[in-house]
Amino acid sequence: MFHPEPMIEVEMIVPEKDILAVTRVISGQGVFQLTDDSQLNSGKESKNAEAWQEKAAGFAGLERRIQTMLQTLGAGEGQPPSGEPETMVDLDQMRQEVEKYEPDVRKASDQIGGDNKRIEQMEAVQRQLEPIAGIDVDVSGLRRAHYTYMVLGSMPAANIQRLETSLSRVPHIFLPLRQDKQTAVVWLAGSESNADILERAMRSAYINPLALPEGYNGTPTEIIQNLQANIEAARADIATQRQALASLRGALEQPLQALLWQVRTSRLLVDAIVHSGKLRYTYIVVGWIPVARFERFKQRVKQVSKETLVESFPVDRNRPAEDVPVSLHHARLLGPFQSLVTTFGRPRYNEVDPTWVMAIMFPLLYGAMFGDAGQGLVMVLGGWLLTSRKVKALRGLAGLGGLVIACGTSATIFGLLYGSFFGFETVIPALWMRPIDNIMTILIISIVAGVVLLSLGFLIGLYNAFVARDWARFFFDHNGLVGMVLYYSLLGLAAGLLLGSKMPVPSIVFTIGAIISALIVAFSEVFIRLMEGERPLIEESLSTYPIQIFFELFETVIGFLSNTLSYIRVGAFAVAHAGLSLAFFNLASLAGPAGSVGYWIVLVIGNIFIVGFEGFIVAIQTMRLSYYEFFTKFFTGGGKTYEPLTLNPSKQES
Amino acid sequence: MAGGGANDYAAINARVRVKYSTLLSTQDYAALSEAADFNSLIVILKHTPYGPYLEKVKDKDLTPRRVIFEIKRRLADAYQSIILTAPQNARPLMTELYRFFEVDNLKAILRGIILGATWDRIRYVFFPFGSLTVLPAQAMVEASNIGAAVEMLRGTPYYETLSQAMRRYNAEQSLFPLEVALDLAYWRRLWEQIALLQGEDRTQAVKIIGALVDMNNLMWAIRYKVYHQLSEEELINYTLPFGYRVRDEDIRSIAAGVDIAQVVERIYPKLPDVEEILRDPRKGLPELETLLQRRLAQQCNNAFVGNPFLIGIPLAFLILCQLEIQDLTVLIEAKSTNVPSEAFRPYLLVGTSAGI
Repeated sequence: MFHPEPMIEVEMIVPEKDILAVTRVISGQGVFQLTDDSQLNSGKESKNAEAWQEKAAGFAGLERRIQTMLQTLGAGEGQPPSGEPETMVDLDQMRQEVEKYEPDVRKASDQIGGDNKRIEQMEAVQRQLEPIAGIDVDVSGLRRAHYTYMVLGSMPAANIQRLETSLSRVPHIFLPLRQDKQTAVVWLAGSESNADILERAMRSAYINPLALPEGYNGTPTEIIQNLQANIEAARADIATQRQALASLRGALEQPLQALLWQVRTSRLLVDAIVHSGKLRYTYIVVGWIPVARFERFKQRVKQVSKETLVESFPVDRNRPAEDVPVSLHHARLLGPFQSLVTTFGRPRYNEVDPTWVMAIMFPLLYGAMFGDAGQGLVMVLGGWLLTSRKVKALRGLAGLGGLVIACGTSATIFGLLYGSFFGFETVIPALWMRPIDNIMTILIISIVAGVVLLSLGFLIGLYNAFVARDWARFFFDHNGLVGMVLYYSLLGLAAGLLLGSKMPVPSIVFTIGAIISALIVAFSEVFIRLMEGERPLIEESLSTYPIQIFFELFETVIGFLSNTLSYIRVGAFAVAHAGLSLAFFNLASLAGPAGSVGYWIVLVIGNIFIVGFEGFIVAIQTMRLSYYEFFTKFFTGGGKTYEPLTLNPSKQES
Repeated sequence: MAGGGANDYAAINARVRVKYSTLLSTQDYAALSEAADFNSLIVILKHTPYGPYLEKVKDKDLTPRRVIFEIKRRLADAYQSIILTAPQNARPLMTELYRFFEVDNLKAILRGIILGATWDRIRYVFFPFGSLTVLPAQAMVEASNIGAAVEMLRGTPYYETLSQAMRRYNAEQSLFPLEVALDLAYWRRLWEQIALLQGEDRTQAVKIIGALVDMNNLMWAIRYKVYHQLSEEELINYTLPFGYRVRDEDIRSIAAGVDIAQVVERIYPKLPDVEEILRDPRKGLPELETLLQRRLAQQCNNAFVGNPFLIGIPLAFLILCQLEIQDLTVLIEAKSTNVPSEAFRPYLLVGTSAGI
């Protein structure tokens, strides 16, 4: 729960005759992450390995070709076949199958592609001609100019200024006729005697001269009309080809999808074999698997190959574990919070997985900032709509539903505590207090909550360092024990200033604590290197070292201060929420007397605005408090993603 | 709103300073330069922060090209982690700066197609750009045709640029117009991102990225003049009108045929021996480029002194990282071909006393 799933390293020695069967099992279960051991291949065995590599490349090529055909037909990949994967298919036979379908699909798609290209070219010419459509001159005459150099064409808009600079010493006329963000239609003219200079300038500015397709003559308007007629003819041809593709789809979709999964399954199997180590008569397959799934996995392997030796090596969290893949396994309910954590980074194997903290902290902070019982219920309803996938347009956001429900529930509870219901501050009683009437109290509580959360961050950081037996980090890191002492000393000093003689502990205690811990923080790098046995103790030159330690200490202190004060926004937003509602009540009273239609319309719009706009901003602030203030105290991240071999990639953890 | 601020830059600054401390030291460079051969160099390199990247590959596969590919992963990681921590307003600029390597990858793809190379042969020539890339690299290489490859870029920032230059490619059958168009469009996009920054952030970005633009622009202008003998108009069209120290008049002067050394001395009065270096511009150009790159490295190191809560520090660090990779590439190539140290040392940037 508090750590990534326990993993076990598995090493299997598989007889050559069984490698395919075993690979089918390890790929089919979707739990085994293979380690690349192909470096064991050598000598004679490497020829065998090369054969597998060629096969893998062959299957990968076929897979791409089938995918292209399916895309051309507008068909999806379909679902992988249920049950155990089939035996590996024959590459040549599959190639023949693909080649049987490909010509028909390619013919139609090539024709559509060609038509599209022609349309694109004709439209480009049209665009170039449109700015001069009003000129009653035969454009083809431009080609026959004898005494002037003239170019009409398009060029990258970004190059215009540079071209003008480059021609500053050459007599010329340069007119941008039309321009959008990317491209400009331009006209460049000059004396024929400067044609060479103008030509080189034109080319180097990437002007693409207007190229009239064969057979287009007359005035610009006439050519545009001709082009339009041809574009429409090409579009009609495309529509015909699309119909042909639609009927092809009906006939080919299922066989192609079946073919795709056969080829993909074989490709995955071959890939897995390629990454295994090949000895003379055996393969060595090494990888990782969650402890909880190991026994079943072992049984399945033994079922298909009794002679396969399966060794397992449990992983100790107390050792460096950068190579251990990290599987985060939580209840579905925590899925959205896990996504929030992995968006920031994936925890390492031996550090705390903060998903559970996030699941409590995120809604709590959100609700405290956006406390309104009515609007919270609207959010719960919105979250339910997202999760239920009932609205087609919102299906893509279904993953956020759980998070919205959690935040909405928290906002509702805080709304009851604050006595706020759709912005009305007098309809329901406040079970705790109204933020707008207790501004200083709510701000101080926010800072205290911040101190509590930061302390939790420090403690998790210390626990992480303890688990990893990283004593240097435990004691001397800026967020380690010494950093924590400095933080509390500074807090003590600040409290002393505020409380004066009421402070139970004398200020001198905190002053001494702050000075000693600040000195240790400043020289933390030296202590860390000393503990880790690294030399020299100071890497930088001695002349710049004092400046560096000063700034590092300064940064640490500023960081503590800003991290703590950052939590003031929790109270500030709670107050602002009530203030914003008040503003809408004032606007509503301008629209009409209380209870009138205008009054209610403004209030409804105001509530929609608050739920949408303020709700979104509060979400961003909550993320900020979680990521930058809280996570940076303990979270290292950089864990290796657990990517088990699977024949159905959609089942992998995102 | 003024740019920068402790709140926005505290996290990224802390991260960058940690990373800055892991850049190779003078001692590392000395050890790498003195390595007996390529294999010894790899052994030393494995004890530096590049070690974890090399450990992932089996020793027999560590060819010079593969080593260069793997060490670039560190730069890619630095970019990705800094982009992730950067304040919202600075992120687009950093992402665009990172796209420099994507543009390089795109050029490599186009060259690969022309050479008829297979994907497996050229995959390690690319920069390991990671998930931010918009290039369907393998499919483009396998398309084996420039026109078809360009069509695959629809919807990316490169499509318009390349499609407008395709007519010249078709007429000239040379990648030059495509590559120049990509370069110009890239630096323009980057400069547009700088213009979106505010206050002191913008000033610092103009100073650091402007220095990079200056160096590229100046070297383009000189190369076009010296090697390609382009006309004045072509040279102007193939260069940029913005930068930090290099003004448009300087580029126009070079285009008009004014003495190049004189122009360079006017732009960089403190650059040593310019007259001597450019006596024969064809020979002196690589040396001039090295001097400018060292100057850039110096400028980036200087960025670490002063107000730390601005965009300058992450930008400077990323450029320093890039220059370090360039130095390592020189060392790897030199050691793999047994080039003596006196022949490659002049081309080291950061790893020389001159550079540091």
